[in-house]
Amino acid sequence: MSTTSRETQTFLRLFRAVVIFVVIGLLSWFVYQNATDPKATHPFKLGLDLAGGSHLIYEADVSGIEEAEVPELMNVLRDVIERRINIFGVSEPIVRVERSSFVTEVPIERLVIELPGVTNVSDAVAEIGRTPLLEFKLLDPSLLAQQQALDSLKSIATTGAAVSNVTINGEAVTEQDPFTDTGLTGRYLETARLEFAGGQSGQLANEPLVSVSFTPEGSALFAEITRNNVGEQLGIFLDGELLSAPVINEPITGGTAIISGGFTPDEARELAQNLSFGALPVPIELQSTQTIDATLGVNVLRDSVTAGVFGIIIISLFMALWYRLPGLVAAVALTMYVIITLAIFMFIPVTLTAAGLAGFVLSLGMAVDANILVFERMKEEYRAGKGSREAAETGFNRAWSAIRDSNVTGLLSAIILFWFGTSLIKGFALVLGIGTIIAMVSAITLTRTLLVALPDVKRNDSHFWSYMFGTGLVKK
Amino acid sequence: MDIIKHKKIFLIIGAGIVIVSALIVAYFGLKPGIDFTGGSLMEVTYATLPEKAEVESAVAALSLGGADVRQSAGDEGAGYLINTRDLTDNERQQLEDALLSLGTEGTVARFTSIGPVIGAELADKAVWAIGAVLLIILCYVAFAFAGIGKPVSSWIYGFLVTLILGHDILVPVAAMSILGFTLGSEVDILFVTALLTILGYSVNDTIVIFDRVREKLVQNRTEHVRKINEPGGVVRTEITHTLTKSFADIVGQAVDETMARSINTSLTVFLALASLYIFGSEVTRTFVLVLMVGVLAGAYSSIFIASPLLVAIEQHLAKKKKTSGK
Repeated sequence: MSTTSRETQTFLRLFRAVVIFVVIGLLSWFVYQNATDPKATHPFKLGLDLAGGSHLIYEADVSGIEEAEVPELMNVLRDVIERRINIFGVSEPIVRVERSSFVTEVPIERLVIELPGVTNVSDAVAEIGRTPLLEFKLLDPSLLAQQQALDSLKSIATTGAAVSNVTINGEAVTEQDPFTDTGLTGRYLETARLEFAGGQSGQLANEPLVSVSFTPEGSALFAEITRNNVGEQLGIFLDGELLSAPVINEPITGGTAIISGGFTPDEARELAQNLSFGALPVPIELQSTQTIDATLGVNVLRDSVTAGVFGIIIISLFMALWYRLPGLVAAVALTMYVIITLAIFMFIPVTLTAAGLAGFVLSLGMAVDANILVFERMKEEYRAGKGSREAAETGFNRAWSAIRDSNVTGLLSAIILFWFGTSLIKGFALVLGIGTIIAMVSAITLTRTLLVALPDVKRNDSHFWSYMFGTGLVKK
Repeated sequence: MDIIKHKKIFLIIGAGIVIVSALIVAYFGLKPGIDFTGGSLMEVTYATLPEKAEVESAVAALSLGGADVRQSAGDEGAGYLINTRDLTDNERQQLEDALLSLGTEGTVARFTSIGPVIGAELADKAVWAIGAVLLIILCYVAFAFAGIGKPVSSWIYGFLVTLILGHDILVPVAAMSILGFTLGSEVDILFVTALLTILGYSVNDTIVIFDRVREKLVQNRTEHVRKINEPGGVVRTEITHTLTKSFADIVGQAVDETMARSINTSLTVFLALASLYIFGSEVTRTFVLVLMVGVLAGAYSSIFIASPLLVAIEQHLAKKKKTSGK
């Protein structure tokens, strides 16, 4: 080999090492920014057991429903529940349909709901289990006009200015509900179905409508209300929101009413479905609840970080003491492993749980395994008289099959763990799986590049350097 | 220390460990937690702790069936853990009200209620998962060592690895049994997670030793090429190998050469776990303890059981071949 090409080679080796440090440096800056900045784009995603919140599992009763229809109904169910939860103002709720695994004899359809930050589970359960409330209320048009005038006054009043003592047409106006209860609610409903308007009585042609028919009791009540209030407006409310307020033209004794409210066909179909199934497309029952206070999670997080830092320090110390210079390289590679893995947790993002954090600390111990395998091989070559660099290269090549075979089994069990676990355990499996892959890749790239960038030493070279490539606590 | 020479002693010790562990599990049993049986668990923490008897009578007044009250000293400070059958939302509210009226500054740190159906499914899944991991590892090892050839087929290696894994999880299960008996620790989903993790991890040590055996087998053999003239003018080449060293010597050397690695790797994992046990969260402490036992069992079994057993099997096969060959 000529001198120039040897110089180029040395330069390249050092250059690669520098590139690694620069890339890892940038990555650690990214991790630091996202971990500390409250407005980070990729913050750590904390599981319910760390951030606090509720985890609810409902079982859906799909008996008596055609099997082919089940998936769609479950999706409708999910959408309805999702909307109810959104009213609740939870940030990033998760609602998903889950089917029991093959180990149960009869498949069970479940709805899993995760509510981060919600620890008052009673309110959540009440909101989720709520029946959509259909109400019929009589409308006083003049009171409604007053109310609208008041509302518009309030909206144009400058912030903080109180609106009081308002008179309209010389009369003092007080806030008064323009609607009066009639006692007729969705409780008296028998069925509801989607219809399309025929174009008569002021309706748009083909406008989607919901036609409801009442129980005999409800029909009687409806007939009485319409008989006593011909010419007035009857407001139809869903969940406290006015849908439409048709004028009562004549007493209705047939026991059916039409609800129109500018629906799209889908909305109308869903409303009809919601109303006729009482609450939901399929009845659900709460099977499992888990609520964790946020303060509990803060302590878990703090303790796990402490354990992780001590873990890194003690493993690095061991590696540096036993394998000396290569061990020190492994300690640096371990720190890089931590940075890369954390960055990946942020990118994917992986939901971190108490078990997942424990898994991450555990993976620190496992991550150096590939390094140890290589160093032990390297030691054999080095003792046999090869230079440290050549010994390192041979060590990597020889150790590869063992590294591969031992990591694959770890990966396979992580995959099965992912299938087995509930959402909190899935976090652990994911952390372990990602950790295994990154550890393997970082050993054969990072450690290798850094190791060959070190000076080439032979065993019978000057004392200091040959000592640095030796193994064990004292001996050369 | 010549492990292979004294293989009988080590195999007897190994068998002893397995028998004792099995007896412990059979005698003490495992205490299944609510993750598998279904039920509720509420943890309430207080600034000033009420008397345990007070809590017990308050819970008993609600008639929720049998309730188990334990004092807890978690990350959150002192409090009580109340274990009952699975509760409806109403019952939960009643229990919460009753407990918060006691002591001062009571807070519900966590509440878990699991229906019996979900619990039963998880228990089934746990058995399936453990079975699947064992089967997959058996197949993987058999496949990865497929070219290993004589004198022991790759399926034997796979079978051995699986057998060793049985040992590696039996020991932590026994440890859990003792923990359940002495401290009342319950088997929960984290325990099964620990077992599955041990399965995936402790197999590494055995694989690394076997990997070295595979390498040594190739190094220490001579090749014989024999050309056979078959009828019809076809020449078939038959390649056979003879080992220049005894199988026992090869395995013994493989164990010696990988010993430092096996110990160091287990040590680093153990150090990480020790750090977790000492500084980490109370929530995962039992989980970590089970993992520690599993890692130790795995390190021991791969060196002192797997390799002697491999040699013993080879010698048994050789003897059988000799007698049948006569």
